[in-house]
Amino acid sequence: MDALTALCIGAMFGIGIFQLLRRNVIRSAIGFVIVSNAINLFLLSAGAYDGLVPAYANLIGVRSDALPQALILTAIVISMGGFAFVLAMLNIVAARYKAADLDEISELKY
Amino acid sequence: MLAAHLVLLPIVVPLAGAALALVFWRRPRAQAGFAFGALLAALASSAYLLYHVWTIGRPVVFQVGGWAAPFGISLVGDLLSATMALMCQLVIAACALYALGSREAATTYPTFYTLLLTLTTGLTGAMLTGDLFNLFVFAELLVISATALTAISDDRLGVEAAFKYFYVSTLAGICLLIACGSLYISYGTLNLADLAGRIAAAPDRPLVGIALAMLAGFFMIKSAVVPFHFWQPDFHATAPTAISALLSSVVVKLGVYGFIRLTTLLYAGQSDGLRAVLVALGVVGLFFGGLSAAGTHNAKRMLAYSTLGQIGYILIAIGWGTPPALAAAVVFAFNHALLKAAMLMLAGYLASRAPVKTASFEVLTGLGKYLPVAGALFLLGGLGLVGIPPLNGFLSKLLVFRSGVEVGDYLVLALAGVGSLISLVYIARAFERIWWQPPADGVKVKPGDQLFAPALLIALSVVLGVWGEPLLALANATAVWLGDPTNYIQALQLVRG
Repeated sequence: MDALTALCIGAMFGIGIFQLLRRNVIRSAIGFVIVSNAINLFLLSAGAYDGLVPAYANLIGVRSDALPQALILTAIVISMGGFAFVLAMLNIVAARYKAADLDEISELKY
Repeated sequence: MLAAHLVLLPIVVPLAGAALALVFWRRPRAQAGFAFGALLAALASSAYLLYHVWTIGRPVVFQVGGWAAPFGISLVGDLLSATMALMCQLVIAACALYALGSREAATTYPTFYTLLLTLTTGLTGAMLTGDLFNLFVFAELLVISATALTAISDDRLGVEAAFKYFYVSTLAGICLLIACGSLYISYGTLNLADLAGRIAAAPDRPLVGIALAMLAGFFMIKSAVVPFHFWQPDFHATAPTAISALLSSVVVKLGVYGFIRLTTLLYAGQSDGLRAVLVALGVVGLFFGGLSAAGTHNAKRMLAYSTLGQIGYILIAIGWGTPPALAAAVVFAFNHALLKAAMLMLAGYLASRAPVKTASFEVLTGLGKYLPVAGALFLLGGLGLVGIPPLNGFLSKLLVFRSGVEVGDYLVLALAGVGSLISLVYIARAFERIWWQPPADGVKVKPGDQLFAPALLIALSVVLGVWGEPLLALANATAVWLGDPTNYIQALQLVRG
């Protein structure tokens, strides 16, 4: 189960970074969300969660550490705010440049 | 009020100011005045914190919520943190003063001063916190405020630069989260002092190297060290003038602060490799920044590139890592913050007086004929950046070179000397272009921004250049503290281990 969790997190990182590097800004923003979630899962598995019981099951010996969950809550809120902010900026960028391709959104040359 | 609460004030005052400033959003002048007052109060509190830490001779620690050290979040004000916080708030207050006298439309945006205050909170908090995850939270606050402030710039390309910066900074945040997770798996704590003790006790856990690499990546993106610099000139050149002055002077110092903490506290015993990398990247940055600055056609962009080179000197000093070199790094960081903020304000001032609002040299050529006061300030500030007495820039370069002689790293010293000559070239070229060439026919200057803020900063630089003894004493004491991380660790009174 540990190996499966690790593989899933790795796959999410891979997919997320692939999407993040796309030229289309909307796909790139979606990649941003996927990477944020991969990080959250990584932090969750940092809390000694062995994947077989609910994250805060009251079993002696397999009890999960609560701190990474608090970290994840904070990270989720921040990444949600960041994503909303990216979408707001994309809205302005799309209106100003009339394009969704990063190659066309590059006037900063001087 | 307890002495421990002092370390809370420089963070809470701007945060409360940001919340209260929103109340005045319909009355822009009242809001601006209130925000400036809040920044001055924050500056006074951080100055008092530094004075207090200096007199009692040990770090001031505040445990948020009353939870004991490794469990709760600690805010730690030692000499390094307090000096850096004072530097940041001093420059930010000067930038707010510039914004008060500015005609840019961005400064009348209803949340401009609120964002400026949240940026101050993020930057000060990141320097005063003693917890790795808390550092992430404050750094994200800083990033979002800085992005929003640049996105509302008068320059229509501001949105593009802000978009780029936000992506790169989010990547930096992801690096920091990976480092947090890796260190938590390995040592079960995120408190910097606790981590430092545990890493020193058991340095061979599998994820420690990854955490070091990720932390180094985070701080390199924050201070725009060369392979991670590509967003910086665009971002700093398109921001509103008051904001670009603080971005290029104090916000990049977050990375410098982080590297000092990494090499002297967190990885105090295992940072030889990182130090060698810092020296190498510093030299590369020196040349890359200097040559790029010499090749630009825009005064603001030239100064943004010059920051890359100046950060190079600080990184070289941190890389050498001896007490005199660390003292030199602190002095250099402080002086560079004052000078670079003043120079960017002057570039923005010139742009505001130009017939077309841009800092491009083509437009600025010859305008200096009508602006003699700005010329005198630009000359003084430029001499400071190059490192010519009596400006404080001379003192910082002297200290870096002297510590290099003690280390005996003559190759790097020679390269740094050449890099210093490059800075003379671009400053002299800019000055010659703006003040010595005749203006084009029929060019008139417009009314524009006020010169109080850059004059204040340049005056402070001259004072620190002529009477540098207090800053030197402070930096030397800081270096002594940094040389012995046990002081920092013991001040937290860790409950276990």
